[in-house]
Amino acid sequence: MATDRSSSNDFARPLRRILLAVLILILTGIFLLWRIDSPRVERFRAQITDSIVPNMDWAMAPVTGTINLLRDYQSYQRLTVQNQELRSELRKMQTWKEAALQLEQENARLLDLNKVRLDPRLTYITGVVLADSGSPFRQSVLLNVGARDGLVEGWATVDGIGLVGRISGVGKDTARVILVTDTSSRIPATIQPSGQRAIIAGDNSSAPPVDFLENPDLVRPGDRVISSGDGGVFPAGLLIGQVAADPGGRLRVRLAADFERLEFLRVLRDHGAETVTEGANVILDQTMPRIEPAE
Amino acid sequence: MDTLSPLRLWMMRAAFLLLATVLLFFHLLPIETQPVALFEPDLLPPLSSIDPAEARLRELLDQGSGRYLIAPDLMIAFAFAWSLRRPEYVPAVLLAAVFLLTDLLLQRPPGLWALLAFIACENLKVRGRSLRDSSFGPEWLAVAIWLTGILLLNRIVLSLVLVPRPDLKLSLIELGLTIVTYPVVVLVTHLLMGVRKSAPGDFDSFGGRA
Repeated sequence: MATDRSSSNDFARPLRRILLAVLILILTGIFLLWRIDSPRVERFRAQITDSIVPNMDWAMAPVTGTINLLRDYQSYQRLTVQNQELRSELRKMQTWKEAALQLEQENARLLDLNKVRLDPRLTYITGVVLADSGSPFRQSVLLNVGARDGLVEGWATVDGIGLVGRISGVGKDTARVILVTDTSSRIPATIQPSGQRAIIAGDNSSAPPVDFLENPDLVRPGDRVISSGDGGVFPAGLLIGQVAADPGGRLRVRLAADFERLEFLRVLRDHGAETVTEGANVILDQTMPRIEPAE
Repeated sequence: MDTLSPLRLWMMRAAFLLLATVLLFFHLLPIETQPVALFEPDLLPPLSSIDPAEARLRELLDQGSGRYLIAPDLMIAFAFAWSLRRPEYVPAVLLAAVFLLTDLLLQRPPGLWALLAFIACENLKVRGRSLRDSSFGPEWLAVAIWLTGILLLNRIVLSLVLVPRPDLKLSLIELGLTIVTYPVVVLVTHLLMGVRKSAPGDFDSFGGRA
């Protein structure tokens, strides 16, 4: 056998070397191309993900369900205690609900007095989380909505309470959400009530630090951090979390959204504010669509 | 190579592809959507002192599953084990394609890690002929050296081209786990998948089973 192999290698070895060199060149080329022209390769990545991951969904859903069921076992054990606590919580909530209703009426009256119109175009699409980033180094999830549903890069994603991340990488049927905890995430934010501007820069921990703060003395732990909106596609005023400090004294955000198990996410449609560029054309064409009279 | 039946050869190549797909599948399952909680700083004013109601609500919603598990990189461990045992089952094109796909799907800089892993596998294939007769010790050492080398080279190249590098602590934990689990991977490869070192004169035993 040994002689057999060496004789066959006499022909195969140069071919094998060429093949190895070609493969090494291709891989190096892809990496360099990604470094030089990142958007193009990232689009390619989104397309590959788009064509592979949705095909796994039929198997992923039951396996994920089973694993979550097993992991929930320990929480089943304290179900009774939890139930009692929830009941008492609910009773307290009822009084709060009354207060909220009264406030809502008051708010409506005040808005009416001010003639404030809320942006009617801030609607949302709900997506199901198909896959996570697959490694502990990156924090992102893949949603089952994509360009087909009109998604645009940069739109905000919330979980019902707080900001979760922004869309980055849209395929036909899927879109990737870079979570605010990811190292590449940068969210411009305003800290209320002082109105300070800052950047929430993810660092792969569950409490991202607050960067580029003008005057840290004006900020107190517990202050609300909300998005300030940028680039025309990221809405302002979304709750991100509360300010807190780590033992080193660095300000961080205690995130409002629950990242423990992301299942459904809302992608906020945002078409940007219309900007006036030419002075003479301020009045927009407001012809109403003609309605055919019924016969 | 000539002694294997082509059917068996292609079946084992398909088996490696299937193995890689299954590993990727488990990587991508949406069950870990939070950062690893190992190095989390404690946030100083505790939430219960600022906002007791919110703190209670969070405690209620907490399902008690912080993320503490870091998985070893089984994909490269299996690729090494197969390359050392049966180079003909994992041809270069298959390895490069699988690693590149992993790079693309796991959000790594595409190509770099694939390139390093590919070079390591090809080197181990050549070295496998000399390691074939020795015991497991030298093989484990060679694998550990290559795993560490890939990690270092990856970080060096990334910092040279000014790309943010992955977290060092997490990388080191993953490296350690991969080295520690390598014997298990070899055992599984050997016993369950039937990928064994070809000893002189055993070419009929495989042909019969296929």
